[in-house]
Amino acid sequence: MSAVLRTRTVRDLLVVLVVVFGVGSIAMLLAHVSPIDGFAQLFDGAFGTPEEVGETLVQAAFLLFPALGIAVAFRAGLFNIGAEGQLVLGGFAAGWIGAQLPMPAYLAIPAVLIAGALAGGAWGAIPGFLKARFGANEVIATLMLNYVAVLLCTYLVTGPLQQGGSGASETAALPKAAQLPDLIGLLADPHPTLAYVLTPFVIAVALAFVLRWLLFRTVFGYELRAAGDAPEAAKRAGIDLGRTALLAMSISGAIAGLGGATIVAGELHRFNTGLSAGYGFIAIAVAIVGNLDPRWIIVASIAFGMLQSGGIAMQAEAHVPKEVIALVTGLVIIALAGRRVVATRRTT
Amino acid sequence: MNATLAVVLALLGLTLVKATPLIYAALGGVLSERSGVVNIGLEAILIAGAFTSVAVSGATGNPIAGTLAGIVAGMVVAAVLAFVTTRLAVDQIVAGTGLNIAALAAAAFGLVLLYHQPGASREVPALGKNGETTLIVLAFIAAGVLHYVLTRTPWGLRVRACGEDPSAAESAGIDALTTRFWAVVAGGAVASLGGVYLALAELDLYSDGMTAGRGFIALAAVIFGRWTPFGATGAALCFGFFAALQFSLQRAGVPSELLQALPYLAALIALAGFAGRVRAPAADGVPYIRA
Repeated sequence: MSAVLRTRTVRDLLVVLVVVFGVGSIAMLLAHVSPIDGFAQLFDGAFGTPEEVGETLVQAAFLLFPALGIAVAFRAGLFNIGAEGQLVLGGFAAGWIGAQLPMPAYLAIPAVLIAGALAGGAWGAIPGFLKARFGANEVIATLMLNYVAVLLCTYLVTGPLQQGGSGASETAALPKAAQLPDLIGLLADPHPTLAYVLTPFVIAVALAFVLRWLLFRTVFGYELRAAGDAPEAAKRAGIDLGRTALLAMSISGAIAGLGGATIVAGELHRFNTGLSAGYGFIAIAVAIVGNLDPRWIIVASIAFGMLQSGGIAMQAEAHVPKEVIALVTGLVIIALAGRRVVATRRTT
Repeated sequence: MNATLAVVLALLGLTLVKATPLIYAALGGVLSERSGVVNIGLEAILIAGAFTSVAVSGATGNPIAGTLAGIVAGMVVAAVLAFVTTRLAVDQIVAGTGLNIAALAAAAFGLVLLYHQPGASREVPALGKNGETTLIVLAFIAAGVLHYVLTRTPWGLRVRACGEDPSAAESAGIDALTTRFWAVVAGGAVASLGGVYLALAELDLYSDGMTAGRGFIALAAVIFGRWTPFGATGAALCFGFFAALQFSLQRAGVPSELLQALPYLAALIALAGFAGRVRAPAADGVPYIRA
């Protein structure tokens, strides 16, 4: 890594810290709370007990999936602003399939996760196809599909695919076999067993390393990055830009959909239409702060996971409205919108 | 009066109510995008307009002061987007996305600070029936004025030049960065009236999420209306009609989700080129960096 790049990374990190602590402190002062007290409650709420560490890592996982998806698309020069919709649709597919599968855990869990990935991938493939075939702007397409996804799931879950007849906007509960083992339970348990290893965070971290290998060690990854960094040169070198766009968006959507499936299988144990607390949007900040590098995205996801889980404690204990977290997240995105990795976005 | 006629009139009235905020936001989007800045942050501008107008109307007891404050707030939010996208040449979409998240959170935070309760403000002095009618009529006048400004005035020509080819515009002596900046800020002023309408004309309070993605529907209207003021207004009316129809069709058994999804699907179809040739301004979304 060149000295210039390293300086930029340090500078970007400083910007993030200034925004988080500067704006956070001002907001806390406006709410008549001492920033020291507010941030202390935030950190304590995120890391104070093993259970809280577990919750932080679970939140990190729910951000890590869509962030990895967004990063793959960005690497191909495409902005997938639709991770939220892909995640919700993946969660729906997982919840719907999971609730009607009478299968042992070693079949049910993979089936639920694969269903989520396929649904999210299919939803991501739509803008990929529109881009490849018609040159349609993927930003607007994914943005619009977010709303269509939520409306579609709401329609299906309250209408034709309703389970249980309650009319509520959720699926029936997943049977025990289709639920992911509980990481928080593991941390509280003095004698953890191997079964506990299969948790959202572990899956997400493993996926990050697979993606890193895919992006930087395979021909496909090279072509994908070439299409993002220098589309004209890539085209002349014989790389099919349309095919790359379709594949990148499908993979991106599949990862986000898998994230939705882990929320259903790991936390809620059923799908409901409000399953995502905006993970697909916060993940944009995670991907950019993580410099679109899977390793650093893991670190960034833990930092933002901390803000998510600690924010609730901060509101309860220090009486700082938890909206401060979203405010800071939005400002971080604006502050880093000029990062070099982001600025290479394909505009054609 | 004939019963059918009454139903039709009620439907048209509701269409205007539903379309007006979309028209303002879409016109703001048209102005911004014709200068070459994609304004994903329309939602943030609507939120800023709605929240600030309520806060100031509540504090002063004067809804006109609230309206003006809402416009100023919309311009401030647009100026943030304009500054980072012109002077700092950052990615317009990424910055706009951040702005939307920050604005929604800032308004929710403001509710807790001002009214000591999350969720919604208290009721404040609103613009009333006459104010609402004025805002509806003004939306159509604004469309005409924007059409005139873009096609018949020197500034409008400069704005369009910056949206098509900023470096050619600069070699003709136009300051592309400044032109883009003011186009986005002026667009923010227009779009903010959509937020004011929602908060002080249709209702008399601000509640969390009350803009409900109208900024994105407006973006769809910009595209479906082919980046022209009249086209965007027509598309906004069309989407407003779907929204108005929702209440009556729901009773007839048509799923309301389908009607709500129509604007987004229409934008997708327009984007894919099924609804005739759709061409954005050539330099729309491309940061201009002086050589």
